[in-house]
Amino acid sequence: MKKILYTAALASVLVAGCSKSDLDLYPYNQVATEQAFNSQQLVQFDINGMYQGLRASGSYAVGTWNIIADVLSDNLVLDQVGRQSLKTYYQYTYSSNSTYGLFTGGYTVTRRANAILENIDKLPDGTFKNDARGQALALRAMLYFDMARVYSKTYLNASASDFTLPYVTTSSATNVPPSESLQGFYGKVIADLVAAEPLINPIATNTNIYLNREAVAGLLSRVYLYKGDYANCIAEANKALGTTPNLPNIATFPSIWTDATNAGVLFKVKNTSLDNINSPGVNYYQFTTRPTPTSTQNGYKSEYLPDFSFYQLYAATDVRKSAYFQTNYYNGTLYNHIIKYAGRSGPPELGIGIPNPSVSSANPAGVVDGKLLRTAEVLLNRMEAEYRSGAIPAAVADLVLLKSNRYTGYDPTADNLLTGAPLLNEILKQRRLELAFEGDRFWDLKRLNLPVQRDATHGEAADGSGVPPNVATLPAGDNRFNLPYPQSEINFNPGIKQNPGY
Amino acid sequence: MKQKLLTILVLFAVGITSALAQSKTITGKVTGADDGLTLPGVSVKVQGTSMGTQTNAEGKFTVNVPATAKALIFSYLGYASQTVAIGSRTVIDVKLNPDTKALAEVVVVGYQTIKRSDVVGALSTVDGKDLEAKPLASFTQLLQGAATGLQVTAANGRPGSNAVIRLRGQGSITAGSDPLIVVDGIQITTAAYNGLNPDDIENVSVLKDAQATAIYGSRGSNGVIIVTTKTGKANAPSLRYSFRFGKTQRQDFNNVRLMTSAEKLQYEYDAQYTNPTLDSMITNRGYVVTPPFPGAPGSKINFITPAQRQTIWDLAISRGAGDWSKYLFQNATMRTHEISLSGGADKLTYYLSGDINDNPGVERFSEFNRKGGRLNVTYQVKDWFKVGTNIGVTSSHEQRVRDAYNTQNSQGALFFFNPYEQPYNADGSYNLTAQGFSPLEGAVNNPTLYDRVNQFGTFYGEAHFLNHLTLKSQYALNYNTLAYQSYLEPGSNLAGILGYNQKNDQNNTDYFYSWTNTANWVQTIDNKHTFNALIGTEYDKDHVYNSSLTGRGFPSKDFTTLDNAATPTTATTSITEFSLISYFASLSYDFDKRYFINVSGRRDGSSRFGANVRFANFGAIGLAWDIKNEKFLTLPNWVSELKLRGSYGTAGNNTIPEYTPYGTYSVTTKYNDQTALIPSKLSNPNLTWETGYTKDAGLTYGFLDGRITGELDWYNRVNKNLLYPVNVSQTTGFTSYTGNIGAVQNQGIELAINGAVIRKKDLKWNVSFSYSHNDNKITQLYSDNAAGQAAYGITKLVVGQPINVYFLMREKGVDPADGQEVYYNIDGTETKTYAGSQAVVLSGKSPIVKYFGTIGTDVSYKGFDFDARFYYSGGNWIFNVVDQDATSSGDVSTNLLSYAANYWKKPGDVVPFPRVLDPATGKPDTKQATEFFTDKYLQKGDYVTLRDVTLGYTVPGKYTKRLGIANIRVFAQGTNLATWTKFHGNPETGDAGETTTANGTLYQYGYPPIKGYTFGIDVRF
Repeated sequence: MKKILYTAALASVLVAGCSKSDLDLYPYNQVATEQAFNSQQLVQFDINGMYQGLRASGSYAVGTWNIIADVLSDNLVLDQVGRQSLKTYYQYTYSSNSTYGLFTGGYTVTRRANAILENIDKLPDGTFKNDARGQALALRAMLYFDMARVYSKTYLNASASDFTLPYVTTSSATNVPPSESLQGFYGKVIADLVAAEPLINPIATNTNIYLNREAVAGLLSRVYLYKGDYANCIAEANKALGTTPNLPNIATFPSIWTDATNAGVLFKVKNTSLDNINSPGVNYYQFTTRPTPTSTQNGYKSEYLPDFSFYQLYAATDVRKSAYFQTNYYNGTLYNHIIKYAGRSGPPELGIGIPNPSVSSANPAGVVDGKLLRTAEVLLNRMEAEYRSGAIPAAVADLVLLKSNRYTGYDPTADNLLTGAPLLNEILKQRRLELAFEGDRFWDLKRLNLPVQRDATHGEAADGSGVPPNVATLPAGDNRFNLPYPQSEINFNPGIKQNPGY
Repeated sequence: MKQKLLTILVLFAVGITSALAQSKTITGKVTGADDGLTLPGVSVKVQGTSMGTQTNAEGKFTVNVPATAKALIFSYLGYASQTVAIGSRTVIDVKLNPDTKALAEVVVVGYQTIKRSDVVGALSTVDGKDLEAKPLASFTQLLQGAATGLQVTAANGRPGSNAVIRLRGQGSITAGSDPLIVVDGIQITTAAYNGLNPDDIENVSVLKDAQATAIYGSRGSNGVIIVTTKTGKANAPSLRYSFRFGKTQRQDFNNVRLMTSAEKLQYEYDAQYTNPTLDSMITNRGYVVTPPFPGAPGSKINFITPAQRQTIWDLAISRGAGDWSKYLFQNATMRTHEISLSGGADKLTYYLSGDINDNPGVERFSEFNRKGGRLNVTYQVKDWFKVGTNIGVTSSHEQRVRDAYNTQNSQGALFFFNPYEQPYNADGSYNLTAQGFSPLEGAVNNPTLYDRVNQFGTFYGEAHFLNHLTLKSQYALNYNTLAYQSYLEPGSNLAGILGYNQKNDQNNTDYFYSWTNTANWVQTIDNKHTFNALIGTEYDKDHVYNSSLTGRGFPSKDFTTLDNAATPTTATTSITEFSLISYFASLSYDFDKRYFINVSGRRDGSSRFGANVRFANFGAIGLAWDIKNEKFLTLPNWVSELKLRGSYGTAGNNTIPEYTPYGTYSVTTKYNDQTALIPSKLSNPNLTWETGYTKDAGLTYGFLDGRITGELDWYNRVNKNLLYPVNVSQTTGFTSYTGNIGAVQNQGIELAINGAVIRKKDLKWNVSFSYSHNDNKITQLYSDNAAGQAAYGITKLVVGQPINVYFLMREKGVDPADGQEVYYNIDGTETKTYAGSQAVVLSGKSPIVKYFGTIGTDVSYKGFDFDARFYYSGGNWIFNVVDQDATSSGDVSTNLLSYAANYWKKPGDVVPFPRVLDPATGKPDTKQATEFFTDKYLQKGDYVTLRDVTLGYTVPGKYTKRLGIANIRVFAQGTNLATWTKFHGNPETGDAGETTTANGTLYQYGYPPIKGYTFGIDVRF
């Protein structure tokens, strides 16, 4: 009997040994949502989280944003040797099953901004709070505007009955918003940016890897240009550029692309070597090595190469030609490879078979910051607005300013005489040359209601041989200018009106 | 000495109770009636008393009996008990008859062992004798075909890979559809079970219905598999050595083949594509390309003379690899050595084993090597107290070739590299090919290594009181470590592409322990009423610790540790924990072995659920009626066994990630290398258990003196509150949160028939057949917004349809008039434009298998034995991504399946594939060259395979005994030697590529399934 008692006593101790509190287990690397905004430091971390989202989205600043507008337009031709990435965009065969990821990716980040705006009043009033609010408002507006550029008509080509995606301003998980009037959407973008502008710190304080007052003004110049509000476009561009626009000269221009200078970059998304996202470079090519240098040296194996006719627009004296391209062999054929995003050390190889001594493991290939707004674009916005509002001398002056910082031995005499359509064409040409491979061309064609007209007779090789684009044109106003919303969202949320044709 | 003291004590105690009764001593010897060998460890009891003893190693016994004793009862596992009258004898020699059914008499169920005849629930067992006859390479192979309702699909052919195990269909939608696997009282992870040596396994119980699984509560809703490892018998030591030698190879594609060099070159030419490898050959030869070059668009190959073209082609064909599988795959040689020693003395039993298994994969450069050992010991400390331990330790080393949808994956490389490309350059270096990559170079220079140590340990004490009560306390642990190394070696091609070399080392320790305490009371009153009551508690805790370190800038590939890295880049660790507290009870009663009832219940609390719904109760009731034993019914003599069973009950599923209910911000990301806080997941405080409600009715039958035996079961299992991501609008910044979304029903029948056609002493022939049918259907969705699980949104969850029913636009075929694909809109009208919005639910077509089973036969004649087993499976549909990729002109740069050449060329062609060129432009037709997701690529997954054939010979004991060897057996086995299917490729791939989330939905480029031969020898001393 004694042993039974012993055993029973022992057993009851064992049973009592575990209590219900043993079930209270919490994660080691997360905080409860309610506690994520309780201090200035936490809110700073939340702000970092917004920008982290911009970087993490495969469809934005450090993802395919630097190529998608070029693949869709007349700047690029498919390299038959490449991995055939983004081919559905190149050939306009996207459907609601395979859509551009910015819809989901964008709302993931705007939700972070919304949560900051909802909780910011937990902090005491002051500069930090104002700046945080300003950054959240500006980032949200910037992203929504870019999403609208992808999925919807542009303002000047839309009517009051045209819709775009919903401008969500809540972090509620139960929100199922319907499509929004496109014109109203533009109003909200502008309202957020205008509200942010006085709150946010200037670039001198925030640096260009956070949104800042100059960048907000620059973004406003972009939105006003799309809206056709040229006076405001010029006014905001003036704020962004200041009296002396910080426009890198010919010597420093290539350093922008190796992140060696911040000159001329109003806002970029930081992509450190530890983040190690090589999409900016890999979107364009993969670099392959072979030990012995020969004339058939393997080097850049491009995904896309410049459209033959487009490439001819770059003059030999144009600094952008050497900063954006390198003509080199791959497997015996000469190509004009796009090396704009080769990495912080520059191209891994400087020429055929010449290893680049500065390549080191500290600077992985293709890993660079995602430039989202440069002074050059703001200047281009301003000169076009000036032209369209009749301020021809101002437009010409801006054009000369840009070109004198791009062309070696530039003589402004001819440009100074430009007016009318030739002036506009030169402004638009410079826009295309400057912002090539930077997330602009397709949206710009859409804004200008122009067709995509690719070089139908030349292929991908440097001499124009190869396979010309199978789809050479996309008529102006074609429904494929507006990318489809994901079918999964349409299925869930019938309030979202799918774009026509999908 | 101690033994004698105890014996004296017992005798003394007995002496007191039997007062001054007279006694006498009886001696004797026990042998087996079948072979005349002595039997050690036979229990010898004096009828009507608790007195008794056991036979010693020579099979002899000595027992003191009171003068009043009438008879002795001899009992021994595997033999029929015998009662022998004593009379006036003092020497009693006994021959025991083997009882073929006796070994199956005892089965392991939840937390206890009961007699087979007392089973109320639906369960199947695989026991020692079945396992001994068949050489088994893995635990997975052991389970295949082991029970009706148990569907085991090898994930792929990688050595050491897991299997997809489904018991009675798919009850859950998330990953947690695997049954609970319990080894010696502790649940083990699916990652650990391949650390088990199948030869260490004594028996396996498969618990299927709620009556059997309810006692496992929150983890039992997808069934339970209980594995018991071997223990020694009180016996002379038995030493066993076995050696196996095998060859495995990749299974060929069924019904399709890749293009040859000549076929591919012709296809490329017709599609106006030139591989750059050919381009450079044209340039090097200085051929004039007309129209004049430069400036001419189009492929060069189209603008040289036909003779020149043929020269280039011939050259490419002669240089090329031809069949890349020669370079990417190998015939792998497998070797296993195994040794075990088991036995016991009167208080101690032991089982000791060790094995070494070298298993190179069929993918070149992949291998899986395992070394393991096991020690199982029991010790009878006191006559009422026993302790024991089961300890198994396995270490394994694995090298993998990358398994993903890219050029670094061997099966993918078969397609991505054209047959006319050469694997090596003339100087012996790797040819980087037009893809800019060499799969061989990648496999050699970018190795991925996994080193694991898995430990299974069980320690228990068991006390027996008052004749009826057993108390047991058991501490069990499963401790697994993994060291992972992935090296991007300096000088490798990929390091050149990325601009850095890098090594990533990860360490993972998973420490799971479980403390179980049970009390079990078993009593029979008046030989009619048997009670079996069990109560218990269990506490489980899991602690997982991960670390990951990365460094770059290694001076050379000879330096493989991170202290040699110039730049350390990342260092992270993480911890996750899980705990479960449980209380359970079970009560069984039977009346006169005719009427059986069992009631069981369990209360579980899990850390994975929100505080409000953390605890839940599960329970079941089971009834059985043994008709054969019924008094008022006299069944005809040809019915040897007939038992009717029925049960109803609940069990749960808690296999969701840790910390799921909490809405959290995660701190693990960085911006500008500084801390960033990002929303991690939405909260769901109402998240609760998924609960399975199972009804089961079954019949166990035996006819003609057991010549025909089997079982028939019907079941209906409804899993409610399915755990699954609940969709939210993507405009909320999330796509889903984990919630409870609805209910799914699995209903089916299971039939097993075993026939003993010939049952002679020297010749035995058995046939067996099993059939399992399962209908899977979603019966309820709380909202209409649940997404499908497969990639590309090609499946859906729809009420009234199986889980993940396909959701695709329908394809009619190619229009013979113009060669364009024709599709159907939702309303059935025809269109030549694909639109994702026109996808429809393809009723009844889902990746879920509807029926499966085995057909087997075994024959033994004297020392020879032969065994063959077919496995069949079907009713499921697979989206064939390989077919889709490799028949489309969308990407001509990679190799294609030969029948892709069967595309539309001229009006009137009735062909499977659309035109390649657009007649209007004379250029490739991009609209037709796109790989849309339509039902064109949806194929039936039905197949029959010859799972295994075994031929063995056991050398008769009379020859071997002279050598001191008890037994020698040699055997040869073939596995998966033939498959019959209409599927294009390999239908039996549980996970056809590690990018697949829904098993069986997409057929991709995963590690190929294998076939092979094994030869072996077993020697027992």
